[in-house]
Amino acid sequence: MIEIEKVTYSYPGTPGPALKDISLSVPEGQFCAIVGPNQAGKSTLAYAMAGYIPHFYQGRLQGEITIAGQDVRSTPLHELALTVGLIFQNPFNQISGTKFTVREEIAFGLENLGTPRGEMQKRVGEIMDLVGITHLADRSPLALSGGQMQRVAIASVLAMKPKVLILDEPTSQLDPIGSREVFSAIRALISDERITVVMIEHKLEWVAVFADRVVAMAAGEVLADGSPSEVLTDESLLKHGLGETRYTLAARRASQLGRWPRGRPLCVTLEEAVEGFKAALRS
Amino acid sequence: MSEAFSLYADRDSFIHRLHPLTKLALAGFALLGGLALPGPWLSFALLALVLVPLALLGKVLRQLLNSAWRVALPFAISVFLIQGFLWSGGTPVLGVGPLTLKQEGLLFATASTGRILTVVSTFLWFALTTRPDTLMTSLVQRGLSSNLAYIIVATIQIIPRFQQRAATILDAQRSRGLETQGGLRQRVRGILPLVVPLILSSLVDVEERALAVEARGFNHPGRKTSFIEINEGRWEASIRWGIILGMIALIGLSIWLRTI
Repeated sequence: MIEIEKVTYSYPGTPGPALKDISLSVPEGQFCAIVGPNQAGKSTLAYAMAGYIPHFYQGRLQGEITIAGQDVRSTPLHELALTVGLIFQNPFNQISGTKFTVREEIAFGLENLGTPRGEMQKRVGEIMDLVGITHLADRSPLALSGGQMQRVAIASVLAMKPKVLILDEPTSQLDPIGSREVFSAIRALISDERITVVMIEHKLEWVAVFADRVVAMAAGEVLADGSPSEVLTDESLLKHGLGETRYTLAARRASQLGRWPRGRPLCVTLEEAVEGFKAALRS
Repeated sequence: MSEAFSLYADRDSFIHRLHPLTKLALAGFALLGGLALPGPWLSFALLALVLVPLALLGKVLRQLLNSAWRVALPFAISVFLIQGFLWSGGTPVLGVGPLTLKQEGLLFATASTGRILTVVSTFLWFALTTRPDTLMTSLVQRGLSSNLAYIIVATIQIIPRFQQRAATILDAQRSRGLETQGGLRQRVRGILPLVVPLILSSLVDVEERALAVEARGFNHPGRKTSFIEINEGRWEASIRWGIILGMIALIGLSIWLRTI
């Protein structure tokens, strides 16, 4: 679904590239998380996948990016918007600011595409149901909590039926309940709609539970690519500024003290930690 | 989180069901009447005979009166004091110490108050009974640029958020010792550390919002549709033409009244 081939990109007026020779392939229906420290190039990669680079941000782009068979470089943004949806960190900035109700806010993109009213009503109803915000339909989108607003932003993009959803730290301004709401909604989308999701995220505990695959980046390069268990327990990544889940940290300390079951991989989720420590107590 | 900024009062009324352009035409008629009719009393007559019934029909009379007097009262007091006492020449009505109240000044102040009250009430009546998005949608359907309509509505709606951010920056800078009260020089010096972060953070927001709106096909070529249905009664187009003819008649009446 997403093919990135040897992509290098520099923002205008900057000395070095923000992305260095990135190659990545994300198949349909996969939940791919991108993790890494600040300035790793994660948001830049998201903008490149959604076509904002080079259409919105100028600069020097080398390599090829193809989304659902469309060459990002030669496809206009308004056409790409039908294939790729992009969600940002700040939910408030994604609200159009012109609509009185959540229902109307979700229809904003469909209005722009010239969708007939009957079809809009049907699709808005379906999407609100899917994302679990039907109870907010008649509320003002500007009067919601952060988690609710972010789910409205996701629903607004999904209403346009994109094949790919890219989320740039969508839970960075949300509390734990809001974060769970967003992650659960995304997981439901993948299973119900076979949508492909790329999410940039710092909350590794959530990534470990929900993602199918984790790509670790630092200084514009991909350092590791694999399952959450493989990438999030890779000790060599720590020196590049990547974190680890609190469960992995506890298991690593236990392992250093000889209290983690021999041969058992370090855990990344709460459930794995419980099983690991139970096994350690038994032995 | 901030609520949408709008004076709109959701009611089930005949006025609320009218097409936004019909209400715009009615508001234009009341505004023109308030400004064009000569003499001190005709604008009050217009208020009583046109705007009050319209507000009653729209079930917003209480809100309209509550807000209108708050806006008009300070103006009325100052104009009565200034024009009443400082009118040059004129017929004395009452002496207050060294000052004398003049009849012509009082009549001028009455006319000015009537006009300002009509303008404020007209604006309030329109804002209380018309959702800004339906107005903009109907204007876009009649040829207004959708970009311009977006800018107008989004700007109005985002005002509370902007105020909220300004208050946060003010608190943050005060907690770091910034003096924002005191003499004029101190206040002027305090403006820069407030304005710069406000503008910079707003620019960042604008960029992100532009990207988000773009992601939702805002610049997609072709005809846009509307989710909300704006109903137009069978006779509303004819009524609007009637109001326009009424406005022309009002201008004629105003000219005639000034000549007799």
